[in-house]
Amino acid sequence: MKRSLSYSIAALLLVLISCDYKPRNQGRVLYEKECQSCHMENGQGLGKLIPPVAKSDYVVNHREGIACLIRNGIEGEMMVNGQLYTGKMAGNSQLTEIEINNLVHYILVDLNDQKDPYQISEVRAQLERCKQ
Amino acid sequence: MKQRIYWKSLSVSLLLIGFLAEGCEESASRPLPLLGPYEVNDTIIDGMLNTDTTFTAVRPFSFTDQDGNEVTEVTTNGKVYITDFFFTSCPTICPKMKQQMLRLYNDFEDNDDVIFLSHSIDPKRDSVARLHDYAEKLGISSERWHLMTGERDDIYSMAKHYMIAAQEDKLAPGGYAHSGAFLLVDKSKQIRGIYDGTSAEEVDQLKEDIQKLLNDEAQP
Ligand code: HEC
Repeated sequence: MKRSLSYSIAALLLVLISCDYKPRNQGRVLYEKECQSCHMENGQGLGKLIPPVAKSDYVVNHREGIACLIRNGIEGEMMVNGQLYTGKMAGNSQLTEIEINNLVHYILVDLNDQKDPYQISEVRAQLERCKQ
Repeated sequence: MKQRIYWKSLSVSLLLIGFLAEGCEESASRPLPLLGPYEVNDTIIDGMLNTDTTFTAVRPFSFTDQDGNEVTEVTTNGKVYITDFFFTSCPTICPKMKQQMLRLYNDFEDNDDVIFLSHSIDPKRDSVARLHDYAEKLGISSERWHLMTGERDDIYSMAKHYMIAAQEDKLAPGGYAHSGAFLLVDKSKQIRGIYDGTSAEEVDQLKEDIQKLLNDEAQP
C-alpha cells in the first residue's frame, strides 16, 4: 500500500510536470529568472521606473555594451525610446560568459527582432574591456 | 504484480486529480472568508473551557504618504482597500507587485470606493520625497493610492497585525525580506482575502473578489 501510494504520488507529479513542460532556450529561462521581475514578462518595463528591453532603441544601439551592462549594472540618466530613466540596476557577477551570450541573444533576437546571432567572441571581447 | 501496482497508482492519482479539480470549481462561487483580525478569548463556563473567536477591525494607524498627507484608518472609512508592503529599491519581487497593483488601480479607476495602501518597509531610504518620485514614475495619484512611510516600529507592527511577513535581513537582496502578498480589506475593516501580488492569475482572482465585495455591499 505504501508503495502504491508513492507510485501514485510520482505519477501525479509526472502529470503536473508534463502539463507545465515547454521546451525553452536558456536565454529565455535566464531572462525569466534574472530579469523578468523588473523588466516584466514581455520585456515591456514598468512606467517611467524601469525601461523596456523589448523593442528598445537603447538595446539595438548598444549591442557592443550590453554584456558589460549586465555584468556591471548601470545607473543614472538614460534615454530609452524617447523616455528619460534615472533608475539603478545592479550588476550580475554570477552569470558565465555563455549565459550572458544566450541571454543577450534572446534579448536581441527574440525581443528586438535583430537578425545577427550574438556570439561568444563578442561577449569575451566586451567583458575584457569592462573588467572591474 | 507490477501491472497491478501501476493500475492502482493510476487510479489513486486520477482520484487525487479529481479532488483537486473539484476544489477549483468550488472556489468560483464561494463567499469571501473572514480572515481577521480576530481575538481568541478563553472563558470557563460551568467548569468547561469555552473558546470564543471574535472578529475585530483592522486597528488604528497613522502613516505619511507620497504627498505628505497623513493617512489613518479614517482614510479607509467606507472604502474597500488593497494593501501591501514593499520598498522602492527592492531588486526582486516589488516591481512585479507594483505592475500588478497598477493593473488593479487602472481597472478600478472610476471607483472612489476602492483605494490602495502600500507600506514602505525601508523608512531609512524611502523618504516622502523618494516615494513622491516613485509615485510620479509609476503615474499614480495619492488620491487613490498611498505610498506610505512612518516610524519603523509602527510599520513592522502593522505588517504583523495584517499577518504579512516583513523584516530587515542583511542577507536578502536589497536588505529586506518580505512577502509579496496583497490583502483585501472590506468596508468594515475585515481582511477578506490574501493573494500573491506577483501572480497575474491570483491578482485576476483578487479583481473578481473586489467586484464581489462591492456588489454585496451595494445590496441593503
Ligand atoms: C532590480 C530591477 C532590475 C533587474 C532585476 C534588471 N534590471 Fe535592467 N534595468 C533596470 C533599471 C532601473 C534600468 C535603468 C537604469 C538607469 O536608469 O540608468 C535598467 C536598464 C537596463 C537596460 C538598458 C535600457 C533598456 O531597457 O534597453 C538593459 C539592456 C537591461 N536593463 C537589461 C537587463 C537584463 C538582461 C537583466 C537580467 C540579467 C536586467 N536588466 C535585470 C532594472 C533592473
